[in-house]
Order: sequence, then structure tokens, then C-alpha cells
Amino acid sequence: MKIKNILFQFKEGLYKSRIELANKLGFLFTHSKDKSEFLEKLEELLILSDLGTTATMEIVDEFKQINFKEYQENNFIFFKEKLKGVLINILNSTASDFKVDEDRLNIIILVGVNGSGKTSVASKIAYRLKNMNKDILLIPADTFRAAAIQQLKILADKAGVEMMNTKEGADPASVVYDGLSAARVRKKNVVIIDTAGRLHTKINLMSELEKIKRVILKEANNSSLEILQTIDATIGQNAIAQAKSFHESLGVTGIALTKMDGTAKGGIVIAIKKNMDIPVKLISCGEKLNDLYNFEADKFIEALLD
Amino acid sequence: MFSNLTGKFSAIFNRIRNKGKINENDIKNCLHEIRIALLEADVNYKVVKEFIDSLHDRIQQEKISESLAPTQQIIKIVNEEIIKTLGSKQNNIKMNSEPPTIIMLVGLQGTGKTTTAVKLANYFKKQGHQPLLIATDIYRPAAIEQLQVFGEKSNLPVFSIGRNESPINIIKAAIKYSFKSNYDVLIIDTAGRLHIDNDLMNELQEIDKNVSLQEKLLIVDAMAGQDAVNSAKVFCDKIGISGVILTKLDGDARGGVALSLKKVLGVPIKFIGIGEKVDNFQLYYPERMASRILGMGDVLTLIEKVETAYNENELKKIDKKIKSQDFDLNDFYLQLKKMKNIGSVEQIMDMVPGFNHLRNKIDITKLGDREGELKKIEAIIGSMTVEERENPSIINGSRRKRISGGSGTTLSEINKLLKQYYQIKEMFKKGPKLKNFSFN
Repeated sequence: MKIKNILFQFKEGLYKSRIELANKLGFLFTHSKDKSEFLEKLEELLILSDLGTTATMEIVDEFKQINFKEYQENNFIFFKEKLKGVLINILNSTASDFKVDEDRLNIIILVGVNGSGKTSVASKIAYRLKNMNKDILLIPADTFRAAAIQQLKILADKAGVEMMNTKEGADPASVVYDGLSAARVRKKNVVIIDTAGRLHTKINLMSELEKIKRVILKEANNSSLEILQTIDATIGQNAIAQAKSFHESLGVTGIALTKMDGTAKGGIVIAIKKNMDIPVKLISCGEKLNDLYNFEADKFIEALLD
Repeated sequence: MFSNLTGKFSAIFNRIRNKGKINENDIKNCLHEIRIALLEADVNYKVVKEFIDSLHDRIQQEKISESLAPTQQIIKIVNEEIIKTLGSKQNNIKMNSEPPTIIMLVGLQGTGKTTTAVKLANYFKKQGHQPLLIATDIYRPAAIEQLQVFGEKSNLPVFSIGRNESPINIIKAAIKYSFKSNYDVLIIDTAGRLHIDNDLMNELQEIDKNVSLQEKLLIVDAMAGQDAVNSAKVFCDKIGISGVILTKLDGDARGGVALSLKKVLGVPIKFIGIGEKVDNFQLYYPERMASRILGMGDVLTLIEKVETAYNENELKKIDKKIKSQDFDLNDFYLQLKKMKNIGSVEQIMDMVPGFNHLRNKIDITKLGDREGELKKIEAIIGSMTVEERENPSIINGSRRKRISGGSGTTLSEINKLLKQYYQIKEMFKKGPKLKNFSFN
């Protein structure tokens, strides 16, 4: 994949929010008569981007010390650089890429609340890895939602990736077990497991996931395991609770931020990073199979502030 | 469940408990916490700002700082104001005088349109209507199948002519079909779409122009963040939304979006989705939503319960006793009995701001929260002399033996009770005074 191309498209996807933010940043300076008004506007900007109160207050505090006049005279680029630095600091504590190993089976499991984009991301990952000449098996472990299996099947066909067959209502852990056995026999490079959406507060459904993880660890202890949680960028502060619960139950290894093609800013990622150390690995923004990008903190913020 | 705001309130509360009255600064602190709570609940920033301003005005107008329990008063006012904003009465679906009543569900991707469509149809069926679901999501893979499978499972008919026809043609065909088969409520499930996707928004406008829609309901995820207002506004501008259905409220999202949407769009919320089953669907009640958003339903319930369980005179008496340190076993028993009427001691400890941090210090599970325990305590105290009850320190070994015989309890049970009494007394001495943890 051409990094330049990815970045370009990634930026295009964020085009609207970028312009809006740049205008807002400029506006912050030209239209604030004093520091307190400026700080209030900064707070508004960050809250409206779903950064949450904790991260927002901390960032605003950082700017309480500044000499407003000096900043204003040096125009807003000066300020933008500082803001960028603060945000990158939060996001960058662990840089971690989404990648697959060459010499062993790679298991990728998608988890998350209902409607956060698991099936979509599963097929996008499959499509990407297939283009990297990986031999992939998709496992539809969402045997609960009506027609979820068909949905994945259609997407798998579109991506040109094999999907294991199973029936609605089957026990998801057994489906995963069968899928892993099949993957081993057929010497697959990558297994991508799509699971049913579940609210993080449903204890029984969370333990179902824990069971699936146990099956994976038992059946494929020599493989790499990526537990990816999809987080919907349009979701607010509840995403922190979601990330916490899934992480406690499963030990999430990465976040895929979805629905970034809308007007939501995805600042929730910063709020999540403030609370726990899970790296954001992927960004999904669009309905096409290739609308999936690696998350890079500096570029993410650059794209947001440029 | 215990929420943030309750904890934060209790912190403010502890800071100001010795002052009697609260000043402008205390009110500012309270308002600050309410503001944070609303923002954490994902109420839109601008809505919160307006809300806090009007709250501040009302608090000053009503001279809250001079009232006996200002923080409680503030909580009550906040609650009232939120309910006022959320709308005081619930809104059902308007039925067309001449069937069919056509309802269209719209919204962003993944908010729960398809699931909600089936739930809504089920709701009408239970009311004696003949609902028909119309599958027009020709874009998402297997979306039509999803509606068919879920509909079939719930014994609800689904109209579909595949994904090769345009949504408008599917709807027109469905309307024709409904006349033949006497369906009186038609529910259109549409594809999820971004508000900035002009082609798909035009498609909705086209439907709106050509079909007489009784209701256009926006399906909104209860977990939605700050941007929800922007997307909802576009849906409203383009096709005119008549109501909102809030989904996924069975999680722990505070659902601040309800407040934002009502305030910004002025559109009523009509139903809520609370689970994955077809009947996990309810009419929407603003009062319940209000305390959920604030995350302090428990405190409000407690205020109500306490208000009925205690009257002011009693409180003054108890308060005086505690202050003068002659809180005796009679009072202890009376308190336990009253608390039992309100809820278990543990619950109360949890609910009262300022008390929750004390709960680990005493073994509250044994504090008479069970019927049997209270009976035993009653028997023990009943076997004491008046003098012993008023001055428990005189209860020595031989008195304990006598009380044990008289009440049919063991010595260790008596010791336990006395220990608890001293702990409570100690707690009152150190902890918040009764007036301030506010039973008044």
C-alpha cells in the first residue's frame, strides 16, 4: 500500500472536520477579546469534539499559563503547534501498528457494542490482507443477529475472501473452535473472527466472549492474537466505559475507530487514551472495502488541525 | 448504582456542611459539578451552557442559599428543569384517521433502525393493529434478510421485492399491497446514512415528497456524542422529523443526547429501545430519563422517601441529641426502624451524599437491614431498663447476662449491638451532622 495515497485519502475523509477546525482555531484567536474568553472557546471546541471533560480540562489548564497577548501576536500557528504537541503526547504513549506476522497463524477478533461496525471492519481487514497475498479465513461468530452471517458472506465474496459456513443460532465458541481447526488444516495465514455486537454491561454476553478467547488460547497458543475493539466515532463518553469493560474482560490489543467519514471528530479516542493504554490501530471511514487506514497519531492530529 | 455526580456532590457537601448556609461560591461549585455531569452524559456543550445559565437564575430567584438544605434543593431544581426541557408528557404515535398510517424510520448507520422497526411493528400488533414492515435498505448487505428473519421470528409480515428496485418504488408497491391485505400501519425501514451524504438524503426527500408519511422517526443511539445534534439537525432540515426513538438504553449510557435533541430540535422522544428482544421496547418517560442523565436517581428517590418517613420536628429532636452527644439506644432503635422503612441501611449509606465514604468503616451488613436482625435488636433493647437505654455505658457484664436471658439472645449478640451503637455514635461525632446529610 502506498502510504502517501493512504494519507491523502485519510485526509480527504477528514476534509470537512479539518476545515471546520482550522477555521475554528483561527476564530478562537481573532474573536477572543481576552484570555478567559479564549479559554472558554477552546474548552467548547474540545468538548464538542468528544474529548470529554477530563482531557479537556487538562488541556485547557495547560493554556491557562500562556501569555495570551504574545500568542495572539504570533498568530494562531504558534498556538496550534502547542495544542498539537499536547494532543500527540496523550495519543502517543504507546505507538503500535496493526500488522500480521509472517511465520505463524494470525488471529484477529473483532469485538464491540452493537452497531459499531465490526462486520464492516472485519471485511475491510480481510480485503487489505488479501491484497497483501495472505490466505484468509473469515469466521462468522455472530450467530445471534438475524442475517449477520449472510451480511459477512456477501462482504467476504466482494473481498474475494473465504468465509467458513455456519448456522444462525450456533454456539459462537464452537464456531470459533471449528474455524480454527479448519484454518490449521488448510494452513491459513490469517483468521478473522466477527463476533456479535454486545453492550459491555451484559455480563452473560461478555463471558461468552471470554469463553471464545479461552478457546482461541487453547486451540492456537502459537499464533498471534489481535483483539480489536471497534469504537464508533459518533459515540460520546460512554465509549470510555465500553473500552474499559471490553479491556477488563478480554485484554483488548487495539482499537479500530469507525464511522470517521461523518462530522463526528473522533476525539473520544483521546478521552479513551487518557483513561487506559490501548493503542488506536485502525481508522475506518467509508462504506468501500478499501476505506480502512492505519492510525497514526501525528497524522491524525495533523489532519484534524491542518 | 452509584454515580459520579452523587460522589462529587457529597464532596462539596462535606466542604460546606459546617457553614449552615451556603454562599454564592458554593452554588458556583454545585453548578460546576452539574455542568460536568451533563457534559459527561454527552449533553451538547451549547445546551449545557444555556441550561446552567437558566439554572443559576432560578437558584438566585428562589433564594436557595437561605433554605435549610440547599444542596438538596439544587438537585431538585436541576431535576425539575431537566424534566421540563425533556417534555412533561409522553408522546405516542399519531394514527392517521384513514388507514394506513405510514411511519418511516431514518438515521445514521448502526443506530438500530432494523431492530427498532420490528419492535415498533410488534408494539402495534399488541395494540390490535395489522402492521406491515417494508424493507427498503437496498444498500447494506443482507439488511433486507435481517428484517425478514427478525420479522418472521416475531410473527410480523415483511414486504420486500428485493434490492433491485428503488426505495420509493418498493414503498409504492407496499402501499398497494397493504390495501389488498388490510394492513393499517406501515413501517418503513430505511438504509442507514450519513447526514452529509447528499444522494441518500435526497432519496429520503423524494420519499417524503411522494408518500404521505404520518411519522418520520429519527433513530438515535443513546450513547451518541456531541455530534448527534449536528446530524439530527440535518435530518430535521431535510425531511422534518416528527419524533425520536432512543436505542440501546439497556447499557449504561446516560443518554444526554435526549436532552440535546429535545432542546435543539424541539422534537419529542417517543419510544426507547432497551434490549435485543422484540418486546424490549417502551414508551418514553421524561422523568426517568432526567435522573438517568444526571446519574442520581438514587438521591432523588432517597429525598422523596426520607421526606415521607421523617417529619421536621422529629428531625430537630434527633439533630439536637446528636449534637449534644446524648444519642442513646432509644434513638438508635428508632433510627434503625425508620431506616428500615426507607431501605436497607446499606442502601441508605450508599444513597446519602457524605455517608458513602463512611460505609467501609463499619460493618453495615449487620446493621439491622434484615427483618430478623431488627427483631433481635428490638428484643434486646426491650429487655433493658430505661436507665440502661438512656445511658448504655452502665451496661456491665451482669446486666448483659440479664438482658441476654430476658431477650433470648446470646451475649455476643448483645455485645455486637452495643458495638454498633458506639460505632454509629462515634460516626456522628466525627462525620456529617444529621442536619447536613439532610433528612430535612
